[in-house]
Amino acid sequence: MPKVFNWQINREMEYPYPASPPERQFAAVFDINKCIACQTCTLACKQAWTSGRGQEHMFWNNVETKPYGSYPLAWDVKLLEMLGPQTWEGDTYTGKTIFEAAPPGQVALGFLPEDLDWAHPGLGEDEVYGVVEGGAYFGIPHQVWFFYLQRICNHCTYPACLAACPRRAIYKRREDGIVLVDQTRCRGYRECVRACPYKKVFYNGVTRISEKCIACFPRVEQGLQPFCTVNCIGRIRINGWVHSPDKADPENPVDFLVHIRKVALPLYPQFGLQVNIYYIPPVHVPVKFLQQMFGPRVERAIETYRNAPNDPELRGVLMLMGATDRWVEKFRVRGDYVYGYDGAGNELVRVPLKEPIYIRPVYDRQFAVYRHNIT
Amino acid sequence: MRWLTVTSVLVLAIVLAGHRVVLAQQSGELVSVLRPGPLPGADPFDPAWDGAPAVDIPLGPQAMAVPSLLKLSIPTVRVRSVNNGQEVAFLLEWSDDTRDDLVVAGDQFRDAAAIQFPVGQELPNICMGSAGQLVNIWYWKADWQRDIDLGYQELLQQYPNFFKDFYPGGISGSPPYTYPEDFDRPEVRQFQVGWAAGNPFSIPRRSSPIEELKAVGFGSLTHKDRQTVSGRGVWRDGKWRVVFVRRLAAPDGESVDLRRDQVPVAFAVWNGSNQEVGARKQLSGFYTLRIQGQERILGIPRDYLPAGLAVVVVLLGVGVGLLLRRRIPGRREDGRGG
Repeated sequence: MPKVFNWQINREMEYPYPASPPERQFAAVFDINKCIACQTCTLACKQAWTSGRGQEHMFWNNVETKPYGSYPLAWDVKLLEMLGPQTWEGDTYTGKTIFEAAPPGQVALGFLPEDLDWAHPGLGEDEVYGVVEGGAYFGIPHQVWFFYLQRICNHCTYPACLAACPRRAIYKRREDGIVLVDQTRCRGYRECVRACPYKKVFYNGVTRISEKCIACFPRVEQGLQPFCTVNCIGRIRINGWVHSPDKADPENPVDFLVHIRKVALPLYPQFGLQVNIYYIPPVHVPVKFLQQMFGPRVERAIETYRNAPNDPELRGVLMLMGATDRWVEKFRVRGDYVYGYDGAGNELVRVPLKEPIYIRPVYDRQFAVYRHNIT
Repeated sequence: MRWLTVTSVLVLAIVLAGHRVVLAQQSGELVSVLRPGPLPGADPFDPAWDGAPAVDIPLGPQAMAVPSLLKLSIPTVRVRSVNNGQEVAFLLEWSDDTRDDLVVAGDQFRDAAAIQFPVGQELPNICMGSAGQLVNIWYWKADWQRDIDLGYQELLQQYPNFFKDFYPGGISGSPPYTYPEDFDRPEVRQFQVGWAAGNPFSIPRRSSPIEELKAVGFGSLTHKDRQTVSGRGVWRDGKWRVVFVRRLAAPDGESVDLRRDQVPVAFAVWNGSNQEVGARKQLSGFYTLRIQGQERILGIPRDYLPAGLAVVVVLLGVGVGLLLRRRIPGRREDGRGG
């Protein structure tokens, strides 16, 4: 089996195909701290792509509550248990990836969910970890906690779905690294469903073939961010092209968050897929739990994120999130504003680093009403 | 992975070696018997099949390619064949306690069976041919059969009480449903992506439970433009019986021409409840199928023999005639001279 380099585990690993990086790579950063699980992203995606017959159970985008939520049921804990101990030495993963742990006769370690595992997308929602004891008070991390995890296809650099398809019906686009299931070649074997550790390929029982998140490629091709990003009312998401660490561009907002400030981390890097959706970890959750999900850089990431008030550039990129439906390729902070630009250098958006505050009287004489403390 | 490949080769070698032994023992037994008149096509339990010689073909787990089948679930398939000089029919019969003919749920897989022929003269790789060595596959699927017997199978067959508020195009999501009729509009069908893309698995109208495919190696399996194999499968008392029917003559250059007295043939069977699908299957090695009525005598197909003989007789007659004409004047000359 060929060896490829996976920077997220800081070592070479086995993968069925030699490395063949696309010209540019679709990526996104989700700030977990800002999500309220309103599921507007989920519905935007559903409305756009999966309202057909046979797609009822499909959420190409879903938001689940951690630690108890999971869709499909137990997708992550089941695989974590199958994979066994996952050890790190510094930034280097010393355990096995799902390719290295592949059982005989399979490309990757994985499992096929049972059909009813797809039937409870809201299970565990808002359930906290721990019990509120007498005398409890708020601190960081919280004694009792939960957080929301926003999930779409990771459009991986080393996709397990693609590797597992014996027909090569799954392909990674050279122009943007988006991973697609060819709807004319798929024969519904579900090897991809079995192999994808994130369980983001879905079997359609009416068309009897499999489907997955298409990264809203018709929008990306027009310089627009996907529906899940632009519909996010919490403005937690930003899309962009991500580079490998050695080619990181400090003016590219995604590169800046991932490689320069290192506040955005991959989900379950130990699986070995070199994912392209990154998360800013929640600051209120015990680090030990987060390390299992986002790898050994969690503590540094949280520290850097909490320093954002003193870091105008970081603040700038965070303010660019959800500020435009266009694809921001460059950003620059000048004075009190952050500017977003397209690939040609045209200004797309300008956002103040600090939103102005207006103080108005409690009683509005014109409308004869009292104003409450709302924004 | 390397040890797996070695094991795979060993397993296949053992399977094939086993087949060779069986072939040696059963030499000439896999025969498509010539029986003029209509073929027993529509009913796999037609008593007409009883007279056809049956051969039990041993199957081995597919272990050459990943994903592979680690545990055999169907050890043999019983094969019979008859032809009437124009069409050929095969009957495949195997034991399977569970009838898996619904694949609506994400963890359901179909029972299926396939027959594979090389299209050219050379014997290709057993696993779906190889570059330049096309194989032709006839692939019966239990769910396609159910589509034909009972109408296109979809959500309601798996979850009868399922409902949804509405579908695109204002289609009500409450029973009674009419799939595919209500959904057969472009603005609705675009959400039935496989159907809109013309995927043969997704097109909700079927004419045959058997799909005809071509392949030139692992991963190259492709639905043929022309579909000419018909047939029917029935599950009864823990056994599947499936009939495949096609004309002996090849409908196109991508299909096997069975107007030959001998043709290599291989078989594969899938057990859905064992999660067998695609490469996770049990298969046989290549066997030689003798097709009665297609024997060649002096290299001439038996069908052409009367015509051939007539031509030979005519040619002989002409030759003798010419010889005689040439000799008669000679005689005269001889006579004159003598």
